[in-house]
Amino acid sequence: MVVGAGAAGGIVAEQLALSGLRVVLLERGRRQMFSETGHDELRSQRTTVLGNAFGPDDERYARLAQMADGSFQKVLPSEGAYNNIAACVGGGTFSYGAMAWRYMERDFRMRSVYGAPEGSSLEDWPIAYQDLEPFYTKAEWEIGVSGKAGANPFESARQKSYPMPPLPFNREATVLSAAAGRLGWHSFPIPMAINSIPYQGRPACIACPHCVGFACEVNAKNSTAVTTIPRAIATRQCELRTGCVASRIVMDAGSKAVGVEYFQDEKLYQQPSRAVVVSCSATESPRLLLNSATKLFPHGLGNNHDWVGRNLQGHAYSGASGLFDTDLFDGLGPAARVACCDFNHGLPDGLKGGAMIANEFIRLPYLFARTVPPQIPRWGLEHKRYVRKNYKRTLGVMGPVQEMPVFESRVELAPELKDHWGIPSLRISGHRHSHDVEVGTFIAGKCEEWLKEAGAISTWRSVAGRGVSGGQHQAGTCRMGNDPMTSVVDRYCRIHDLDNVYVVDGSVHVNNGGFNPSLTIQAIAYWASARMARELGSKG
Amino acid sequence: MNKGSGLNRREFVVGAGTLVVPLHAAAPLQTFSGDEARLVEALSEQVIPADDTPGAKQAGVLYYIDRQLAGPLRRFAATYHDSLGRLTTACRERTGRDFVDLAFTDQTKFLLDLEAGRIEKLDSFWRMVVDHTMQGFYGSPAHGGNREEVSWDMLGIRDLMEGHRH
Repeated sequence: MVVGAGAAGGIVAEQLALSGLRVVLLERGRRQMFSETGHDELRSQRTTVLGNAFGPDDERYARLAQMADGSFQKVLPSEGAYNNIAACVGGGTFSYGAMAWRYMERDFRMRSVYGAPEGSSLEDWPIAYQDLEPFYTKAEWEIGVSGKAGANPFESARQKSYPMPPLPFNREATVLSAAAGRLGWHSFPIPMAINSIPYQGRPACIACPHCVGFACEVNAKNSTAVTTIPRAIATRQCELRTGCVASRIVMDAGSKAVGVEYFQDEKLYQQPSRAVVVSCSATESPRLLLNSATKLFPHGLGNNHDWVGRNLQGHAYSGASGLFDTDLFDGLGPAARVACCDFNHGLPDGLKGGAMIANEFIRLPYLFARTVPPQIPRWGLEHKRYVRKNYKRTLGVMGPVQEMPVFESRVELAPELKDHWGIPSLRISGHRHSHDVEVGTFIAGKCEEWLKEAGAISTWRSVAGRGVSGGQHQAGTCRMGNDPMTSVVDRYCRIHDLDNVYVVDGSVHVNNGGFNPSLTIQAIAYWASARMARELGSKG
Repeated sequence: MNKGSGLNRREFVVGAGTLVVPLHAAAPLQTFSGDEARLVEALSEQVIPADDTPGAKQAGVLYYIDRQLAGPLRRFAATYHDSLGRLTTACRERTGRDFVDLAFTDQTKFLLDLEAGRIEKLDSFWRMVVDHTMQGFYGSPAHGGNREEVSWDMLGIRDLMEGHRH
């Protein structure tokens, strides 16, 4: 039984089904079609002012989020502080930007390389890059990633190239690439889970201007909704049940799960199962564990040592925008095409970790109008003139700055707030580590340098603050480790104290790298599935 | 997808010029009274005024806000009713006139004072109006604003957006 048909759950379901096991794949959202949501900027995963295009809905879900003054406020899924991940078949991958990065060798042993800064629970992973390498390769070929092997000199060793060539540079990537060369940096095409050529029976990207935040109109974006999940169903070993909201994992009197309880169409069901895989995201997975308390596990499953929901991380996105005196916008999506990894590690002044930096996805008109430089008025004729003159002359370069884990950054149950089905909701609290701001400031400076070298006539920075972490790259809340006292799951994603409950998603990340996390989530899904298939298969 | 039809919305409207329906037929209001609507329209025009290219009024931003306050943004409807009333009162007290009757530059001056927190406590409401106006002007025409895709035309991306508008 797999709960959550997203980036990881869609892979685990397929792999277990291929091994001959019967799989029920539970998803609270539904299967969505491009035609339902289209290219509506105001109701996308990027801009949610009119609601979440891909769920969850504002009517049935809510959370409590900590505000800057420390108080808690009720927030809806379409509001930023909710820290939403899409709830539909494919999960976040159905509408993601599809950057498909491998973390670097050093990302798996951050504590050994740098030491933990005060106030951080920074730790090494119990697995190494080399353990995951074959599974990164598997993810790249099974999901479908376009890229240029060897183009990034900082990438850790790979055994196989990408299955597709990279998407071609657009105008701004060409300009930025030349500028990086003049600075002595090493730019290369971003690896993307987007078809650059027809692959697995689906067409190549048509370079539309809407990419991140939208479903793909030609299915060239490689979500689990169009890759592993249909293949899982085709084995006839996997049944996908949508509109199913898991309320708790059902345990026997001891440490063995016997099934999952869930709501569908307002009715409560129980599905017996030999094993339960929780793949609901780094906010919803801990919620399900915490809502499944028993006599033996009174604080929630896997939580006897108070680690479930801890170390909530995301990325402290920082960067810069630059204004040019010529049009660099050519409308070719996904505009994000060029990156440098010169600043992922080895930063000066004792800075730990870092970020890859890349040009941004196309800023659609509303978002552009809301992100004018600080000296421009927020409204009125001057604002309008600025937007009109500079829409095609503005470039953004950003990096997902690796966050130092903070034990107090967390999700926990909010018993006073329940969702539509009466299941206790979450509350999210804590703050980023001060070190993240230092690294963010450094990265923003490098982004400005890049833009200036490319010819920007003015630049302005954006550095992440110390607010609550999480976001769409949420991770860390069911940490993987060898020691049951200081982690939730073992190196194969099984909860330490339990016989047959696994967490497979970004929750298990010990830290979140300086990269978009989806390919790592998926590599771990392949890694954990291989072990699970052996264990569960051998028991007959 | 309908990229092959070769007929975009503007050409269709021109081609259908014999129809008696005017381009800006007044849509029925769902949220605002007539007075509220005139005030919201004037406020939105301050956010995005007409110059060489259309502003918020011509883009139908009023109808975007009116419709959303009866839909996905209904949780803000009460704030609008209350704040528009307070703004009207505050404007009369300060200037002796209704906001919509002030000269454009006097409206701007009043709003700058309001934004700076010097009038009532309406600065957060004004920020909401600014945001909703941007949504209605720059977002998809499907929601009642951005009529004739005036903002996409202004940015020179009409063809790009229409090629992938679904």
